[in-house]
Amino acid sequence: MLGIIAVVSAFMYDLPLDLRDRSPVQPLVFSHKVHAGKDGIQCLFCHRYAEKSPVAGILPVETCVKTCHPILGLNIKDLNAYWERRQPIPWVRVYVLPDHVYFPHMMHIRAGLVCANCHGDVASMEPLTRHVKLEMGWCLNCHRQKNVGIDCWMCHK
Amino acid sequence: MKRRTFLQLGGMAAAGAFLAGCRPANEKMIPYLIPPDEGVTPGVADYYASSCRACPAGCGILVRISEGRAKKIEGNPLHPVNKGKLCARGQAILQELYHPDRVTQPLRRTGARGSGEFTRISWKEALDILTGRLRELQRENANDGLALLTPQLRGTLAELTTEFMRTFGSPHHVSQELLGLDWLRAATLRSFGRPGLPFYDVAETRYLLSFGADFVESYLSPVQYGYAFGRMRQGRDTVRGHFTYVGGRMSLTCASADRWMPARPGSEGALALGMARLILAESLYDGASLAANGLLAADMLRQLDSYDLAHVAELSGLSQQAIAEVAREFATTRPSLAMVGEAVAFQSNGPESVRAIQLLNVLVGSLNRTGGVFPDGASPDGPTDSFGELLSLIEEMHAGRIQAALILGDPVHGVPSSTGFQQALAGIPFIVSFSPLLDDTALQSDLILPDNSSLESWGDVIPLAGGRESMIGLMQPVVTNLFDTRQFPDVLIAAARELGGNMAAALPYATYLDMLKEAMKKQAGFKGSGNFEEAWVDLLRQGGLFQTGRERESGYRWAAGTLLPNPARPVFAGDEKKFPLHLAVYPSTARHEGGGAPLPWLQQLPDPMTTVVWDSWVEINPRTAEGLGISFGDLVEVASPQGSLRLPAVIYPGIRSDMVAIPMGQGHRDMGRYARGRGVNPLELIASKIEGAGRQPAWNATRVRVTRISEKGELVTAGNPQGSYRSELIEI
Repeated sequence: MLGIIAVVSAFMYDLPLDLRDRSPVQPLVFSHKVHAGKDGIQCLFCHRYAEKSPVAGILPVETCVKTCHPILGLNIKDLNAYWERRQPIPWVRVYVLPDHVYFPHMMHIRAGLVCANCHGDVASMEPLTRHVKLEMGWCLNCHRQKNVGIDCWMCHK
Repeated sequence: MKRRTFLQLGGMAAAGAFLAGCRPANEKMIPYLIPPDEGVTPGVADYYASSCRACPAGCGILVRISEGRAKKIEGNPLHPVNKGKLCARGQAILQELYHPDRVTQPLRRTGARGSGEFTRISWKEALDILTGRLRELQRENANDGLALLTPQLRGTLAELTTEFMRTFGSPHHVSQELLGLDWLRAATLRSFGRPGLPFYDVAETRYLLSFGADFVESYLSPVQYGYAFGRMRQGRDTVRGHFTYVGGRMSLTCASADRWMPARPGSEGALALGMARLILAESLYDGASLAANGLLAADMLRQLDSYDLAHVAELSGLSQQAIAEVAREFATTRPSLAMVGEAVAFQSNGPESVRAIQLLNVLVGSLNRTGGVFPDGASPDGPTDSFGELLSLIEEMHAGRIQAALILGDPVHGVPSSTGFQQALAGIPFIVSFSPLLDDTALQSDLILPDNSSLESWGDVIPLAGGRESMIGLMQPVVTNLFDTRQFPDVLIAAARELGGNMAAALPYATYLDMLKEAMKKQAGFKGSGNFEEAWVDLLRQGGLFQTGRERESGYRWAAGTLLPNPARPVFAGDEKKFPLHLAVYPSTARHEGGGAPLPWLQQLPDPMTTVVWDSWVEINPRTAEGLGISFGDLVEVASPQGSLRLPAVIYPGIRSDMVAIPMGQGHRDMGRYARGRGVNPLELIASKIEGAGRQPAWNATRVRVTRISEKGELVTAGNPQGSYRSELIEI
């Protein structure tokens, strides 16, 4: 019995498992299929810091409610309720890297990668779903193919 | 089902539950509600140069700002004082900004003084109350009824306060600090005929002799001298500078020394003269230096006749051999340097003792020489008798001539109660405090006009004893104001504008920033309007105006004539029989005089010698403690003629057996949740008028008696967190 637990624990410990929810329930039903697919909005329009910052960022609530939706004559009740409460929307992260990994978005964008390389065909996803395994081997594969450094300190700093 | 199968299934179910529990929850991602200002990129940090004003050393800092919030402070590598290094206190001023108990808007007292009952009011109301009171004074022709109490300010802020008080027509402007360097300025003026502070070239010296100058923790410019000390020891290939420390208590500085000479308190000046006599008698002095300073060896020897080795050894309680050895080493290892600090200065015979030690530098030719002592180029002037001024002000206060007091800083905590300051203050009908936290002074005041934290402030910070060249550090707001607070100088300017007439004419600035820019324009030598704006931005980017190339034109020369210093026998408050032990109070490494107490990082920083956190303690020699039946961590009572305090004891081998020492900085009545009621304030024990001594401050000339109370001192040390029920403190 103890043996089983030990084996399972060792297995857990040894494999860098990517156990987080792949398609978590979001506080608002937000469709990338509509925004990026049907409306054809560029990724960087909303995730506007991706080219200059390690984090990609999400549009501020005010921009959604006060700028974009009024132009299209849209009035989404649940979204407006957040704005009226002056509360930012608590989105649930789909892509999470542990603290010991340094992942800068801007370097990958500047290197000419397209977002879909890692995030998949978001434009066709109704709820956003993670299709890749965020494991070190997956990163290294790409780094080897593109012949960028695979020094430990590149990401673990 | 077999028992074995049952257990196996049960175990697997438990393991399954355990694994499911392991599954991490997805984190949240919170967007901005409103788009951030132009220039803010989430995830990308900005760095702003500013200056630290946690102590008068005025180091340059770089503050990392992420998403408009200050996150981390490091030293500014371009600043000539600290060269990119920074001490714990400098790093902790971040917590000043985010302190949960900050005064967030002006307050007016509603309850009794000291009750802490205040109402929030607007700045307009607050300024109306202030100017209304000042106008009343003007109407009654009682302009000199206004008093302004500040720490020792320098630069533009000093100009502003001086101008304000001068134009208002009140002479009662006192810039006082408990550990102000008035004593060093006064002694330098008498010895060398010039005001200002010395700059010690520690890095290049080969023999350092410190008389109670704790230069790696608190003296003058600790970050700079800590760095210089490292260079003195290891910066040269063939030379490792030697360091001897004289003083009754082993400080962190002393612990770095090669030799410790625990001289009896008050005997340091005589010891220095004894060394001088030996150097003269054995002709080890620098003849050229004596000639240049107008001194004659034979004449000096005659004057120092009474300081023979046996006599000095008896006065200081040191062995003749040790004194002679150190004197010979000091005189023959050139360049050598003698420093003098607070432990010597705050004795009844301090002024003369300090000069006796300055004389040693003359003897070995260390004036204006590499590895010696130079006039400080940065802060040439300052008060020389602010304690005397404070005592005069207290007399005025007692006589009822002061109608209103504006107070920057926390003198209620920082002035020994034996001066009668706290009592006199209670009689003043109108007190304004500018404290950003409800400190002991703010608690007693009628109106609180909260100052910005230093990371929200403009200013010029002139480093104290920063170097041979003049330099000005700049302070800029690195974040927008978190609360509805205003800078102290801006309040003065606004009040002057409200008062109108000559007050408005004397301070014709819209804001303090305008005044500061004007002053910097002059300093940087800008004529006309040019493109000063561009230069100003460059100055802010660098952190100040350095490399001015302006050195003090002349160096030191002995100006006291041929009459040599002659320190009197030290006198102490308290009868030797009733109070057998000398009390030394010293600035705590983390909290200094008390300014660091509200910051939890500094409370949690273990004292480097005793590892005590979050508390006060009294250091007692093991032999003395054994005689009194005291063991480590016991609660003891320390009583002086002024009063008594209860605090835990630390058995400390690094202190003379006739001395006990208590660090300053704790014992605040309020000042936020981290300082409130923590430890004791040793200044309550200090006598300030000592029979047979002058009016100079003598904080180390009080005798005390120590009695054991119980074993429950509740001392929390890093090595013994379980020793007390307050062990949770160690984990904060």
